[in-house]
Amino acid sequence: MEPVKKTPFYQTHVNLGANMAAFGGYEMPLWYKTGAKQEHLAVIEQAGLFDTSHMALLTIEGKDAFALLQRSFSRDLLRCLGKEHQPLAAGRCAYGVFLLKNGTVLDDAIVYKIHDSMFMLVVNASMGEKVAAHLATYAMDVHIIDYTDRLVKLDVQGRATGKVLQQLLADPAAALDQFVYFSYRGCFEPGKANPAVFTKGGTEILLSRTGYTGEFGVEIFVQPEKALALWQEIMECGAPFGLIPCGLAARDSLRAGAMLPLSHQDIGDWIFGNTPWDFVLPTDENGSFTKEFVGDSAVINEKDKRFTYGFAGFDPRKILPGETSFVADLEGNRIGRILTCTTDMAIHRKGDEIISLIDMGEEEKTTIKGLSCGFVLVDREVEIGQRVSLVSGRRAVEVEIRKEIRPSRTAGMALSKFIALK
Amino acid sequence: MKELDELILPDDIRYSADHEWARIEDEFAYIGISDFAQDQLGDIVFVDMPEVGDSFDQGDEFGSLESVKAVSEMYMPLSGEVVEINEDLSESPELLNADPYENWIIKIRMEDLEDYDQLLDAEAYLESLEE
Repeated sequence: MEPVKKTPFYQTHVNLGANMAAFGGYEMPLWYKTGAKQEHLAVIEQAGLFDTSHMALLTIEGKDAFALLQRSFSRDLLRCLGKEHQPLAAGRCAYGVFLLKNGTVLDDAIVYKIHDSMFMLVVNASMGEKVAAHLATYAMDVHIIDYTDRLVKLDVQGRATGKVLQQLLADPAAALDQFVYFSYRGCFEPGKANPAVFTKGGTEILLSRTGYTGEFGVEIFVQPEKALALWQEIMECGAPFGLIPCGLAARDSLRAGAMLPLSHQDIGDWIFGNTPWDFVLPTDENGSFTKEFVGDSAVINEKDKRFTYGFAGFDPRKILPGETSFVADLEGNRIGRILTCTTDMAIHRKGDEIISLIDMGEEEKTTIKGLSCGFVLVDREVEIGQRVSLVSGRRAVEVEIRKEIRPSRTAGMALSKFIALK
Repeated sequence: MKELDELILPDDIRYSADHEWARIEDEFAYIGISDFAQDQLGDIVFVDMPEVGDSFDQGDEFGSLESVKAVSEMYMPLSGEVVEINEDLSESPELLNADPYENWIIKIRMEDLEDYDQLLDAEAYLESLEE
């Protein structure tokens, strides 16, 4: 086995009293002294700072860069932006998956367009080499560089992010102008950006309006030697707005409540399709694919269809994924397995509805206990609103199949909702 | 995460290798989880408790604790019958994080007082954690 790696923030995490664990080949913080619950709530109400340097990063440059991605990536790069189906433009990025020929998922990724013949890819921890090797098999005229160890990433997530950025950035008005969801500013390579983005402390960054919590926020890429200074600067700018460091446990519960999949857990080595994430497939209004890409026929021709659904429980009780647990219909028939089961600490049931902490009165907030939520993979179609049972040994928890889990999410909201723009 | 020397391990109670503790009072025993257990689990969001009248043997699973990330079973440090459960924990499971000793989980009528002598004292429990 490969040795467990450390991010540049390892000592920072330890000094903050983090509960550390290996994840994706890196020693990462699960939670800090504040605890995962407060961290989850901080992102809903204020903001959280996440070390996500374990994520891998590739650049693809060359004459065939666009053709390679159009052939290998699930999104149609000619029509993946917005309701108007615009092509991916420089300064914008798109989320999708890389499928293998057999229709199973190699990994999910965000593809950033730098210019017509250059793209940057963010893939999952320890997946950089594998995705690069996969793309190399297409034998096209491109140059692929694994940038993973040359950049680190910090995410600031939560509705206070806009205010934190106003304090952090040297020229916030310029950097935040038209800064829409799935766009970015700056460059992964210092000195190459036009215009570049600097912090007040003089650190050059790539600022991306993306994230993995379902809440308004950014992902910030920086060179490893500037990493600690940037952490410090973000903490200082963020503290007045309630920003706290957050670990992977809060990241997991936030993303599950936001209906976001974890690669190799909710999507993986089974055929992709019939998931809450089918929007990453290049499907037009008539249900046909708008381009040919690797894995497409396997997805279309799948015979033994399986279905992935989000679910939410009625209290915080969980049944964890594993060999001893399964999903059953209410007659007790085994119909599938649990992919993710965690507790979204910021939601609560009120009659038939789920409401978010952010929409509650101060008094009501104190009663919130959270709801279990996650994803199941089952062998039949189940209607939204139906109940299924998660079972492990003597324990069983009834949950509701849902299209959405945590309401009032902020990820895609206009920046003007959070800060006054000049 | 707490360093071992930061753990609070009162010496008027005894511990099991499964990180439960027991405090005896006449023929009764209060049962809870150790500071180590609550620190490892992180924020506890739900306590699944047995019912009054349930009987368990030493080592039996008697309930579970759910943190944000994990579900952990609790095992009986002693044999006996449940005579009371700590109702406060249904409303406020986080009390176990705040003070795992003040906040016991169940009270049992012990079957065999000698069971208690087999449990670890604070020093032996700490040693078992150091291994």
